[in-house]
Amino acid sequence: MIRRYLREISVAAATVALLLLLAVAKPQFFSGQNLRNILVTQSYVLVVAIGMTMVILARQIDISVGSHFAICGVVASLLARAGVPLPLMIAGTLASGAVLGGINGLLVAGFRLPSIVVTLATMVTLEQGIRWITGGEPVRNAPTFQWLSLGQSAGEWLVLATAAAVLVLFAWGLRRLQAGRAVYATGSDPEAARLAGIRPDRVIFGVFVVMGMLTALAAILNGIQSTQGDPTSGQGLGLQAIAAVVVGGTAISGGRGTLIGTFVGFVLLGVIGPALIFLQVEASWEKAIQGAIILVAVASDALNLRQRRNVGASLAAH
Amino acid sequence: MSLLSVSGIAKSFAGVQALRGVSFDLHPGEVHALVGENGAGKSTLIKVITGAHAPDSGSIEIDGHPVAHNSPLLSRSLGIAAIYQQPALFPDLTVSENIALGFESGGLWRLVDWRARRARAKELLGRIGARMDPETPVGMLTMPEQQMVEIAKSLGGRAKVLLMDEPTASLPEHEVENLFRVVRELRSQGVGTLYISHRLDELYALADRVTVLRDGQTVATRPMKEVERPELIRLMVGREISAIFPKREVTPGDVVLETRRLGCRDSGLAEISISIRAGEILGLAGLVGAGRTELARVLFGLTPATDGEILLAGTPVRLRTPSEAVDWGIAYVPEDRRRHGVILELSIAANTTLAILRRLSRGGLLDVAREREIALSYVEALAVKTPSIDVAAGTLSGGNQQKVALSRWLATEPKLLILDEPTQGIDVGAKSEIHRLMVDLAERGMAILMISSELPEALGMSDRIGVMRGGRLAGILSRAEATQERVMALALGHAEGAAA
Amino acid sequence: MLAPALQHIERSPKNRLVPSHERILAVLLLVEIAVFCVIGRHFVSADNAFELVRLSVEVGLLALAMTPVIVTGGIDLSVGSLISLSAVLFGKLFRDAGLPVGVAAALTLGVGAVAGLLNAALITGLRLPPLIVTLGSFSLFRGLAEGVTGGSDSFMCPTSFLFLGRGAQIPVFVAAAAGFWILLHRSVIGRGLYAIGLSPEGARHAGIPVARRVGLVYVLSGVVASLSALIYVSRYTQARADAGTGYELLAITAVVLGGTSIFGGRGRIPGTLLGLFTIAVLERGMKLADLGDQLAQILVGVLLLVALGANAILEKVSARRVA
Repeated sequence: MIRRYLREISVAAATVALLLLLAVAKPQFFSGQNLRNILVTQSYVLVVAIGMTMVILARQIDISVGSHFAICGVVASLLARAGVPLPLMIAGTLASGAVLGGINGLLVAGFRLPSIVVTLATMVTLEQGIRWITGGEPVRNAPTFQWLSLGQSAGEWLVLATAAAVLVLFAWGLRRLQAGRAVYATGSDPEAARLAGIRPDRVIFGVFVVMGMLTALAAILNGIQSTQGDPTSGQGLGLQAIAAVVVGGTAISGGRGTLIGTFVGFVLLGVIGPALIFLQVEASWEKAIQGAIILVAVASDALNLRQRRNVGASLAAH
Repeated sequence: MSLLSVSGIAKSFAGVQALRGVSFDLHPGEVHALVGENGAGKSTLIKVITGAHAPDSGSIEIDGHPVAHNSPLLSRSLGIAAIYQQPALFPDLTVSENIALGFESGGLWRLVDWRARRARAKELLGRIGARMDPETPVGMLTMPEQQMVEIAKSLGGRAKVLLMDEPTASLPEHEVENLFRVVRELRSQGVGTLYISHRLDELYALADRVTVLRDGQTVATRPMKEVERPELIRLMVGREISAIFPKREVTPGDVVLETRRLGCRDSGLAEISISIRAGEILGLAGLVGAGRTELARVLFGLTPATDGEILLAGTPVRLRTPSEAVDWGIAYVPEDRRRHGVILELSIAANTTLAILRRLSRGGLLDVAREREIALSYVEALAVKTPSIDVAAGTLSGGNQQKVALSRWLATEPKLLILDEPTQGIDVGAKSEIHRLMVDLAERGMAILMISSELPEALGMSDRIGVMRGGRLAGILSRAEATQERVMALALGHAEGAAA
Repeated sequence: MLAPALQHIERSPKNRLVPSHERILAVLLLVEIAVFCVIGRHFVSADNAFELVRLSVEVGLLALAMTPVIVTGGIDLSVGSLISLSAVLFGKLFRDAGLPVGVAAALTLGVGAVAGLLNAALITGLRLPPLIVTLGSFSLFRGLAEGVTGGSDSFMCPTSFLFLGRGAQIPVFVAAAAGFWILLHRSVIGRGLYAIGLSPEGARHAGIPVARRVGLVYVLSGVVASLSALIYVSRYTQARADAGTGYELLAITAVVLGGTSIFGGRGRIPGTLLGLFTIAVLERGMKLADLGDQLAQILVGVLLLVALGANAILEKVSARRVA
């Protein structure tokens, strides 16, 4: 059991080590206020990373999430400003996320095009499209949109609770629902999946649609924290999400990985920035450290896999 | 009533008529052998029965019911299970999940009961005597273990018809017996097995009836006991095979390769001391997993040796990469033709020159004219059946692909040619062409190391036969003293049998 | 001499399938040029042609080096960030370390080689997927650039170096294009690269030094990115940490648009050049026709999808030929 989850455990260990360092050097980091602040402002990244985990498990990738995020953010702001009642605003935004994800899904699953280039193309198109339509101008939010009129304190708890709920729900679904197992099967071997009665194209389409909806949800969670909807937001969101997923132990080749791992990866990478500020290290090194962590995580993956394969090989010799 | 009955099946692909009219039936509780040369249509027939391909004409009946629009899912639900050489399992999923996916039904939104899956897997594995932890990811199992999982999976799916395509190709001896036991057990339960194999010994041990395919047609269906081996071969190729092995006496020259206590810890090889002379064919026999391919890979620089020495013409060498081996005059025609022997998407010309690119370099630029010359000359010399040297190697039949693979290595003008199962999965005609070629090369002074799992071939072609067991050399027999029994005894480790 | 029976064997290669993607692209390019000649201001002028090429060089160099990378079945997402790192290091070497411009430039190219080596070591040494490795180095390189400049510092381009950005980059580009064409299509190494893209294990079994070859293409990619950085600094007259943002995606777009398969084993330099200029003409033409930057990029995105569709169909056709 431990051997199977060795990867996730080692990331967790690294995260704990970093947190311990902080606890010793700057215990103020762990004030309720600070922790909540970090988690609340970053939880939308976790939601996107959950969707990205499923995409990567299915052996695909989606680098267009940043553009989806911007578009859904603008849609949510516009709907709220138009006075649409709350449930409809949420439904409308999720629907637009589903449609955007569905476009990717259709091109990848329906037309059998490679996801890296498809999502590159849709990202470029949508990113520029939304800027063109809005003229690059942010949409000022209706007062009712901010914190969904719940006030900051309750609003923050809502954000945290939503992110946690999504995490728990999808973790359960990937393990206990056949739909979740189908994602693993599709990513592990699409041909074998077909023979087992699973429709890989449907699974892949579904995964992109869910990715779109989760991105929309993330846009709402982020949007209610600010005063305007920004059509240029979401830059680098895709990379952030992929980084969390990969550092968390999900294999880019599909079929292998857990949401717990993604969560730990998210925590590790997300904590770097604030930790640097607290430790009074030059904050502009954040990206460099994140890049180094990604490389170290992936490199250790390779070494771990080598040990696994040797186990298999020695069995064959007898 | 027959479990499975096919009648008049025809199938063509892009102008090639793979099946011309195949008819036979499978009775309950029978093991029915299916034999034929490569290209006779056996694998295509399997794909038609499972529904992976739709036939152009003809009909299929399962349990007396005609099947109109067959599909893999439909055939599986009707009780047909296919087991191929390469198991179709999910490497990242556990054994229990793989088995469960073989027969679970219900929608995408059903709940998964892991405890029940584990219990079911244990039960099915126990039935076939497989001992492995059902929570292991399948990718970490060995090939024989994966095959056991496949069989357990079919049992779970309550298969009535088992289609087995070369199931023993990668199994060691004791696992083959295990497989036979399972097949016999299933037979007694009324399951019908269609068994494809080139290994006639297995068929005579296991099968009740045999159907011979030739050029996409059924030629004969007989009870196994009523047809002798020569007649079986004659039915397969349509002619008498008299001199199967064209071996001629060659006076061996100087020692080309010598190994002293060669070992490779990662591959499980140890204490290998052999020598091969120019003009000699050294056969290498042994059960699968004995380390023969591993030895070849060490000699070719694919895996570096950790112990001992390799000497080429008396000089100790270190072979760390294949290109170093090639520079020293060693060539290796690998076992996996489609993945390592040729590159399917490259043209015949490109494949032929892939190992001699450096020699075709003029200031770094590729001499295309010379490349075509060389490719054409080998196509002619080896009689490769192709309309052009520019077609992709993947369009050729197995035998012709093997000839292209051979061309590639002959073009390097090696001193030592290592052949790993050179005639595996190749039709009888091409087989003898390759044997004749080997003998010609030996006569011209090439040293040949031939790994072969087909004992008649190993005995018929070799000047000496080395037998490997458990990563070590169990013994070397001269041509005169080698017999099937002695070789097998050495391979199994029965000392008394070897001395007899 | 060949036996009569073999006369029917082809003596010369048939190139039916290979350039049809390029032919379509070439036609598209001509149509584009024609359209913009009509609706664009001063499109038909030597000045414009000059500007067009001059501005395409930086991405163009990346695209040239990206082609062999993708042909081997890999990808290099770090080149845009490497431009920023190289630019910033060049500035530091020149301004803060006081080195002469020529030496600073040479050292910058060296940095590119080292960066490429880092990618190569992880990809070939540890057998890691190029997508993830270069995603990591994408982050690392720009992160280092940001760290070095503290997020805000910038370096003015030395006056003696400005010539590179004013037109001298064009012959550099032509030379690079010729070099990569020879490498990929005429050299022995190039043949090996295609084999690696189609089947890395198959190539290895044929004695091709896979790790060395793959390492080479990533090192070249790194050096070329640094060269592109020098040109960028010269043309932009400044070196900042945000240099080259998004360039890697533009380069990949040009390469895939040009017909190179993302899966490896198929692709040509002429195709990449066509892809590059299709995008360049589109962007410049839209600008001169006052149609806006964004519309051009949207069209590029759509073009890419159409090209992918065409590519996918081509793959299926050739896959059917392989039994």
